[in-house]
Amino acid sequence: MKIKTEQFTEVARREMADMNSRAFLQLLPPVIAAMRKAAMATFPDPDEANEYSRAIRAEVVARLPELLEEFEKNAIAGGARVVWARDAKEANDFILDLARKREISYVTKGKSMVSEELGTNDFLIRNGIKAFETDLGEFIAQQLHRPPFHIVGPAVNVSVQEVCDLFMEKAGMEAPTTDPIELGYAARLYLRDKFHHLEMGITGVNMAVAETGSIINVENEGNIRLTKSSPMVQVSVMSIEKVVPTMHDAMHMLRLLCRNCTGQSISSYVSIDTGPKKDDEIDGPEELYIVIVDNGRSDLYDDVKAREALRCIRCGACLNHCPVYGTIGGYPYGWAYSGPMGQVLNPLLLGLERTQDLYRACTLCGACKEVCPAGVDHPSMFLYYRSKDVQGDDGLKGKKRDWKEDSFFRIFSLATTFPWLWNKAVRLLRPLYNRNAKDDVVTNISGPFEGWFRQRNLPAMPSETFHDRWKKMKANRLS
Amino acid sequence: MGNAREEILEKLRAAPKGDVPVRLHMSPLNEIGLDKEEMITKFRETLFLQTGVVHRVKDNREALDKLEEIVDTENLKRVVASTDDVVTPLDLPSWGEKKGVHISRAQDFTDRDEFKDEVFARAEAGITGADFAVAESGTLGLAHDTDQARLISLAPILHIALVPADRFVPVYENAIDKVFKDGAAIPSQFTFITGPSMTADIQATPFKGMHGPRRIIVIVIG
Repeated sequence: MKIKTEQFTEVARREMADMNSRAFLQLLPPVIAAMRKAAMATFPDPDEANEYSRAIRAEVVARLPELLEEFEKNAIAGGARVVWARDAKEANDFILDLARKREISYVTKGKSMVSEELGTNDFLIRNGIKAFETDLGEFIAQQLHRPPFHIVGPAVNVSVQEVCDLFMEKAGMEAPTTDPIELGYAARLYLRDKFHHLEMGITGVNMAVAETGSIINVENEGNIRLTKSSPMVQVSVMSIEKVVPTMHDAMHMLRLLCRNCTGQSISSYVSIDTGPKKDDEIDGPEELYIVIVDNGRSDLYDDVKAREALRCIRCGACLNHCPVYGTIGGYPYGWAYSGPMGQVLNPLLLGLERTQDLYRACTLCGACKEVCPAGVDHPSMFLYYRSKDVQGDDGLKGKKRDWKEDSFFRIFSLATTFPWLWNKAVRLLRPLYNRNAKDDVVTNISGPFEGWFRQRNLPAMPSETFHDRWKKMKANRLS
Repeated sequence: MGNAREEILEKLRAAPKGDVPVRLHMSPLNEIGLDKEEMITKFRETLFLQTGVVHRVKDNREALDKLEEIVDTENLKRVVASTDDVVTPLDLPSWGEKKGVHISRAQDFTDRDEFKDEVFARAEAGITGADFAVAESGTLGLAHDTDQARLISLAPILHIALVPADRFVPVYENAIDKVFKDGAAIPSQFTFITGPSMTADIQATPFKGMHGPRRIIVIVIG
């Protein structure tokens, strides 16, 4: 997938005119939000349940290195092989090399956000190994070469006509139809053959349990279970923050994940692997590889504010509650992660410079933070990114501003720190400023401030400020 | 890549330690404390919302009667069955012979490929037992091993599950504690199954039977 985070405004404008996207955005996010609320109500106290899951995720971030080691030790004891990868290249090279050694001609994939991040599909295909996405939405998005529109429904906005044309051309569908159920069934038939003869499957990981060395996948379609049950070789790819301390923690997170993701109390399937199949089992993998991917996370772990992003469990609740996502949909975010989740993750993983619009396209309303079961404080992350960006932070790859803007804000912040200086400066600048006023309103000042006035006006400065009048009043009363 | 592990962990260890927050008290879930009948009712009601059907029979004899009824209604000719401790006592192969249904089990196949041909391309249904039935969400728990092959409950379009009434538990943790207790032989895979396979990925239209079963029928014994 090409990274297109720099085209945010352009794509957002195009998407706002797209009727299919609009229809979906006006209907589904509010519906899922309502379903989420109903599902949360099954807890004796939903707020308490939320606080508890937030505490689990905070603990994971705080204890990350020891939990990873504990997980690794137990996973190996269970018979899994654990592979560490510093970046996308190392992870993808490992998978390709393994596929070649086992003489694999194609793989199926369960939906995995981290493999979107790593670009595993494109890499394998470029190197002669066919890679089939098997989640219905991912399958469609992959064939159309589009990023996920929504983390749960990656292609939910694509019209039935477009899906029909696609399946006729690429999925061996025999007769055209625009019935979503028949289209789904056509995809079942096409992919079923792939599952049947599968020799290597690739999945993501929803949770890795330190206490037992188990990995957990949460899904509705059955494609992940098939990808793990049919082939001889299973590769499950996880980013470092997927670990949770105990099986009980995992069960609580499972409840929160499903409720926040689709409004279900639990998904159709939750499968928990501890090692490969035993010798006497007829299905399941003979080799289970767990690839633990860093891809830049350990670098930002040193920054205690930035690493709060690692709490995220990819449930997608923030998307469904975000007024910005609800207007522009998932494409403008330009990469694997969209909505507030993407605004938090993409800048850290890609650098602040090339994701400028992402952390600024936010009204700081806080709806995302309010629903987040992992306790991510999105608005404060955005403010942090904005400040690190203009300071040109090295670690987060901020884009420093030119000397004029930089010095203006230095002086501005100095002036706002000392009231006497502020008052002096205002008096000094008043005639200059008021020259732009018309009927006591300033609608624009040409030059560097033009952008600011694009959507706002300011009143003209009166000849007497509030402080002047206050002083006068006090003096009058005393006299 | 040998030192990738060290390099990643070293960076994580070198970073400032964070505070581990205190876990606040959480009220016990509503299902904890339900008696057996209440659990079965809750299970039936929640699974029904996922289009799952629950039948209740007294004993194994009645279970076979119910199976016969299902086989007749669905016109099943070829079924694959697990050999777990719920299904085995029913002696399905000789029952099937009498009823005209071909029943195969994992052990009837010499290798994985032959078994896969059966479950993917020929079997019209899969019959399994279940280790747990979780009241909380109408969820079955299956521990996979040599007698509980993974694909039987997954590849055929219809899944028929048999579960003894004494295997009902209130919440997931009750099942997990038994499966993952210290010193227990942990299964290579443990699965929670709640209703048939489903999706809503095209135009948000719900659709059962995406890649796994389109329908699930649960027979509660006892």
